Amino acid sequence: MWRALAAVGALELRTRLRDGTALVIALIVPVTLATLFSVALGGDDPPLRATVGFVDLDGGEFPASVRREVVGSQELKGSVTLRDLPGREEARRALDADEVGAAIVFPAGFSRSVGEGRGGDVAVLTSPESPLAGVVARAIVDRISALVDARTLAVRAVLKAGVPGDEVKEMVERNGAAGPSPALEDDPLSGGKVDLSVHYGSGMAALFAFFVVGASFRGLLTERKLGTLDRMRAGPLAVWVPFAGKAAVGFALALVSVCVTWAASVLVSGATWGDPPAVFVVLLAHVLAAAAITMLVTSRVKTDAQADGVIMVVSFVMAFLGGSLVPMHSLPGVLQAAALLTPNGWTSTALTELAGSGAGLAAVAGPVAVLCAITTVAGGLAVLGMKKGTLL
Amino acid sequence: MTAPDPMTVPFTPPAPSTPPGPAPAPSPPALSCRGLGKRYGDVHAVQDVGFDVAPGEAYGLLGPNGAGKTTTISMLVGLLRPDSGHVRVCGVDLAADPMRAKARIGYVPQEIALYPELTGRENLRFFGRLFGLPRRELAGRIEEVLDLVGLMGRADSRVKTYSGGMKRRINIGTALLHRPDVLILDEPTVGVDPQSRKAILDGVEHLVGEGMSLLYTSHYMEEVERVCDRVAIIDHGRIIAEGTRRELIALVGSADKVELSLDGDVETALAKLRAVEGVIEAAMTGATSIRLLTEGGRHLLPALITAVDGCATVTATQVIEPDLEATFLHLTGSTLRD
Repeated sequence: MWRALAAVGALELRTRLRDGTALVIALIVPVTLATLFSVALGGDDPPLRATVGFVDLDGGEFPASVRREVVGSQELKGSVTLRDLPGREEARRALDADEVGAAIVFPAGFSRSVGEGRGGDVAVLTSPESPLAGVVARAIVDRISALVDARTLAVRAVLKAGVPGDEVKEMVERNGAAGPSPALEDDPLSGGKVDLSVHYGSGMAALFAFFVVGASFRGLLTERKLGTLDRMRAGPLAVWVPFAGKAAVGFALALVSVCVTWAASVLVSGATWGDPPAVFVVLLAHVLAAAAITMLVTSRVKTDAQADGVIMVVSFVMAFLGGSLVPMHSLPGVLQAAALLTPNGWTSTALTELAGSGAGLAAVAGPVAVLCAITTVAGGLAVLGMKKGTLL
Repeated sequence: MTAPDPMTVPFTPPAPSTPPGPAPAPSPPALSCRGLGKRYGDVHAVQDVGFDVAPGEAYGLLGPNGAGKTTTISMLVGLLRPDSGHVRVCGVDLAADPMRAKARIGYVPQEIALYPELTGRENLRFFGRLFGLPRRELAGRIEEVLDLVGLMGRADSRVKTYSGGMKRRINIGTALLHRPDVLILDEPTVGVDPQSRKAILDGVEHLVGEGMSLLYTSHYMEEVERVCDRVAIIDHGRIIAEGTRRELIALVGSADKVELSLDGDVETALAKLRAVEGVIEAAMTGATSIRLLTEGGRHLLPALITAVDGCATVTATQVIEPDLEATFLHLTGSTLRD
């Protein structure tokens, strides 16, 4: 049986090499596009720069400490500039005029509200024109939010314990709840680098995985049209052999495609995609999901020409919604939610997390699990359809 | 002529012959099916089809397009799962042990089921590997098959450059690679020129002569009459008659038509011919021609010529014996090429 499987696989590989889909679609096009995007839009030369608007309507200790931290940060030195603005409307106008890339707005009474245990909201204004500034502003506000949450909880606990109001601050800080000083220990720019250089490489890898693996399943329809599939199925071999032989080659080519695109992106831009084993697992899960979805498409259409068209449409829709073409943070809220319906969305989320945080596999277990679930559901439906259509 | 109710046509699958005295157990039929049925929604594509093909026998499945031949074959080779019935290949149940059963079958599909971008030799090599031929044996077997189908000189050309007849021949050759016990040919001569058709039929007869069992489907009457020992007529998904050519023709009776051309007193000759023993019916079909319906027409000719002696002279005769075409027309009420 393995010999028959090898024979089908060898013929599929030979066909893919002969018709050019193995080299052109799997390697040359995604690597070229990823490289062009990285060179044009990513990388560290020239250095990344962002101006973040700073609106302090509070005048309290929180905004003051944030300002001190950003200005004093070695990681942000030369890259991020704070620009004081008098109010929210002015910040919006500056944003629209591209004078700032993002803005942080501390509302009036913020520090007092936090000090009294009532929490508070810091607004972040962003522009799709400057994703880097948006990432930096969000990174800063994320730190503030964590501090505010901890501080609010501590104050409430102390107040509930009956401590007089004028002793709360001293009591809270003495017992470990940090003061209003966000420590920017990590480089907030790392998120910006993800979006600008790694983003396009991973996006192309995710998009072309669909085309590469889909070509093999489409080949099953061609074999059915030629009559060779029936000839194989009438021979002394298990019915799954033709399917498995082609699927194995398509899957392997797609995996090679995404890995080569990954390697090329790293070599060209110099940016890391994150922990290599974790990146590989995410890419593997993405290729599996792409295989299952294109298999499902193949099981529902009648001809190979139909399969070509539908796979192309599905691939581009998934790529667009899933942030493979346009960064997810640049999409409207509705589309950002829709991204979670696509494997590309989860792959993009996972790779951004890995590249941005430097975390390992555990940090992307959720997205990988979702990709596996997509594979299981789409693959199961595809197998049923393929059996009905005598492809399997 | 109206078609009789297929249900009323007597058809019983042949009972295995029982030689006298103690003998080794008879070998099972090369191909056997019983009660095969397949339906698509409300449409019964095949109903209760059953027949045996003995080892070394050439068996024809004759029927018009859409009669259920290809559906039947698809079930016989394991491409379609029957809704009812079973198939045995050399005694091996196809459903229970498909791999072993399929290894005994060589299936030649109706269309050219080959890779047009590969050469004839590459196609044979691929299917040989797929069908489990040992590597050492494969190269030699490919040469044998190429020689058998007469394509040794074009073995390294791409199949897409072959003529229609050459494609048909390599299509058949591919099914012979693993030396099957039963060759199943589904309309193997559709769309080929007369020369290639002759070559294909000669080749098939050669294989049967060497002991290979054959199931041959066609809607070309003359091919089935030439190649097959026994024939089943299938229509509307049912086998409505089965037997040797002679047995099937006997279903429509043994009457032959005799056409006579005469000089002289034709009316007197007509009266004398009616009196000849064996003449069932006689009628003038023109001023100098008479048509007779007779039993054993060819043997009756001397008596017919003698009978008109003195009043007319027979200048030409033609005896038309019933054939499978007439049988088919009688059984189904339609011609094979409908």
